[in-house]
Amino acid sequence: MNLREFNRIVRQTLFLPVLLLLVLAGFIIWQISRSSAELRWIDHSDDVMEQTIRLEKLVLDQETGLRGYQLTGDNSMLAPYKAATAPIGKQFTTLRDLVADNPTQMSHLANVRDRYQIWLGFAQGVLNKDPTVVNDPRLNQHGKELMDSLRDAVNAMLQTEGHIRRERANAALSIERRELAAVLVSSLLVGLLLAIFTRSRLRRVSTTYDAALEELTNKAQEIYERRQWFQTTLESIGDAVIACDKDGNIEFVNAIAQELTGWTASEALGRPLNEVFHIINEETRQVAENPVDKVRRLQMVVGLANHTALISRQGKEYIIDDSAAPIRAEDGEMRGIVLVFRDVTEARRSEAALIAAEKLAVAGRLAASIAHEIHNPLDSVANLHFLLENETDPMKRKEYLRMAQQELSRTMQISRTLLSLYREPKAPIPVDLKDLAEGVLLLLERSVAQQGITIERQFKEPCIVEGFPAELRQVFTNVFLNALDAAGKGGRIRIRIEPVAAAELRSAGGLVEVADSGPGISEQVTGNLFQPFFTTKGENGTGLGLWVSNGIVLKHGGSIRIANNDDGDLRGACVRVYLPTRTMANSSTRTTAHVDQGTGIRN
Amino acid sequence: MEAVTGPLILCIDDEALGLQIRKAVLEREGYRVLTALDGSSGLNLFAGEPVEGVILDYFMPGMDGGQVAVAMRRQRPEVPILLLSAYVNLPQDVVTMVDFTVLKGEGPTELLSKVRSMLQPRQGPGAAP
Repeated sequence: MNLREFNRIVRQTLFLPVLLLLVLAGFIIWQISRSSAELRWIDHSDDVMEQTIRLEKLVLDQETGLRGYQLTGDNSMLAPYKAATAPIGKQFTTLRDLVADNPTQMSHLANVRDRYQIWLGFAQGVLNKDPTVVNDPRLNQHGKELMDSLRDAVNAMLQTEGHIRRERANAALSIERRELAAVLVSSLLVGLLLAIFTRSRLRRVSTTYDAALEELTNKAQEIYERRQWFQTTLESIGDAVIACDKDGNIEFVNAIAQELTGWTASEALGRPLNEVFHIINEETRQVAENPVDKVRRLQMVVGLANHTALISRQGKEYIIDDSAAPIRAEDGEMRGIVLVFRDVTEARRSEAALIAAEKLAVAGRLAASIAHEIHNPLDSVANLHFLLENETDPMKRKEYLRMAQQELSRTMQISRTLLSLYREPKAPIPVDLKDLAEGVLLLLERSVAQQGITIERQFKEPCIVEGFPAELRQVFTNVFLNALDAAGKGGRIRIRIEPVAAAELRSAGGLVEVADSGPGISEQVTGNLFQPFFTTKGENGTGLGLWVSNGIVLKHGGSIRIANNDDGDLRGACVRVYLPTRTMANSSTRTTAHVDQGTGIRN
Repeated sequence: MEAVTGPLILCIDDEALGLQIRKAVLEREGYRVLTALDGSSGLNLFAGEPVEGVILDYFMPGMDGGQVAVAMRRQRPEVPILLLSAYVNLPQDVVTMVDFTVLKGEGPTELLSKVRSMLQPRQGPGAAP
C-alpha cells in the first residue's frame, strides 16, 4: 500500500460515516416533520371543536336573552341576545375557514347555519310581537324545538369532528410508531454498516500498517547489517581509512587510522580532519595541504605529494602514501571525503636500501671494467717512469713523457666518468643523451671488446633533455649491460638516439633505443621485467636493475618499453627509453621505483 | 741495439700504447720482443717463431688470455707463460695453468723480475733449444 492509498482509506473511513449519519439525520428530520404535520391536524380538529362549542355557547347566550325577554318583557333582558349577534357572524366565518377543506363538515356547518337562521327568524318574530304576548307556551315550545334542532346540528358537527380527531390521533400514533421503528431500524442499519465498513477499512489499514512495519523492520535490520558489514570491512582493512563529511569533519576512523594518528575513534569523531590528520612535507617540514581542501578544490581523486609525513598525536612521524577521494551521492553531489593511507616508512627505507644496493651492484659490475681501465694506464705510466729513469736521450724522454700524459688523461677521464655516476646536481640540468651514452660506453668498452660485441652507434646530433645525469647514466648502464649480456660473445648491439616530436600522449623529448642480437625475451618473462628481484641472470643479477631504471625514468616523466625487435636483422630484445625534453623531476622527488604494470611492456 | 741476442719474448695485449711501452721496457733489459694485438695473431707468431717466453694479457677482445694459453700449451707446453692482467680476480684454472701472473700496475720491476725467473731454467746449460 502506498501513501496515496492509505490517505484514500483514511478519507473513506472519516467521510463515509459522516455522510451516512447526515443521511440518517435527514431521514429522522423528515420523519419528525411528517409526524408533526399529523399532530397539526389533530390540533386543527381541536380548534374546530372549540370554535363550534364557542358558537353553540354564543347561540345559547342569545337564546337565554330571548327567553328572559319572553318571560319578563323587559328589553334589558335582550342584552346577551344583542351582544352575541356580531360574534356569532364572525364565529361562522372562522368556522367556515377552518373546515373549508372538509366537505362533510362544510355541509354540517351549512346545516348549523341554516338552523340558526331559522331560529333567528323565529327570534325576530318574537321580538316583533307585543311584549305582553310573547310569553306564550306554544311559542316557547316552538322556540325550544328550533333550538334543539340547532343543537343536534352542532352536535352532529362536533361528533364528526371528534371522529376525525380520533382518526387523526390514531394515524399520528401509528405514524409515530412507524417512525420510531424506521429510525431505530435505520440507525441500527447505519450503525451496522458503519461498524462493518470501518472494521474492514481499519483492518485493511492495520494489515498494511503491519506489513509496512514489518518491511521497515526488515529494512532497518538489513541496513543495520549492511552498515555493520561495511563498518567491519572498513575496520578490518589493512590501510588506514578516515571518512569526513563535506565540511571536513571526521565521521569514521578505522583501527589502523587510529593507530597511525594516535587518536581514538571517540576522540576523533566530529573533529576537523586537519586537527587529527596532521601532515607535513618530510623534507621542508612545511604543513602539507589538507587533502579535504584539495579534493574539494579539484573535485576528483587526489594522491598526496611525495615526501608526506604524518605526525601522530604523540609526535611520532610516519612517511605515508595516500589518496583522498570525494564521496558522491546518487545525484553526484559531494557528500564527503574518504581518505586512505598507509605507513610506508619501512617500505621507503627498504626501497632506498634496494636502490642503494642496485647502485652498488652496477658499480660492482663495472668494477672489472674500471679496474682494467685504470690499471692499464697505470701500468703504462709505471713502465714509462722506469724507462725515463734509465733514458738519457732527450728525444726519447720527451716521447715517453708525452705517452705518460696521454695515459694519465685517459685515467682522469675514466675516473671522472665513474664519479659522475654518483655525483648529482641539486636540480635537473640539460643532459645530452649522446654524451651520456658515450660516457657509459667508455666504461663498458672493455667488456664490449672482450666479448667481441659490435656496437652500432646511430647517433650524431646532440639530443638534449632535462634530467639528473647520474641517474640517467645508471639507467643507460643498466640497459647497455643487459644488452651486452643478451647479445653475448660476438653479438651485436645497435644504439639509436634521436629527438622525438610531441605526439598525442607525450611531449617532445629524446628516444634511446637499444636493440641486441640476443635471443629476445620470452612471454613468461615480460610481465615481470620491472618487478624488483626479478632476474634472468641467476647469481649474476640483483633483479633490481630494471626496477630502479623504471623508477628513474618515470620520475623524469618518461617511459621504458621492452619488446622483441621485429624489424631489421637484430632479432633480440629492443629497449626504448623515452625522456621528455622538460622533465617532471625535481630535487625533492624521490627516486622511487613505482611498479606499475601499465608502464610495462607491450609485446 | 745490444739486446738483439737476448731471449725472444712474445708479448700479446690489445692495448697498443701499453704494449709499445712494455716492449720498450723489455728491450731496454736486453730481450727481443715480438708483439701482437690479439690472441689469434699472437698464436700465429707463437707457431712461426722460436719464442722462449710469453707475456700474455688476460682481458682481450676475441680470445681471452686463458684461451690463448690453452692453445699455446697444446702446441709447445715447455714455453713459459706469464699472465698479465688488470683483473684482481683471475679464474683459478687459468692461474694454475700459467707459470706466473703479474697484476698490471705492480710496476716494471716486478714484471722484469718475474720475466727473469720465468726464463731462468731456459738460460741454464743444456736447457737451450
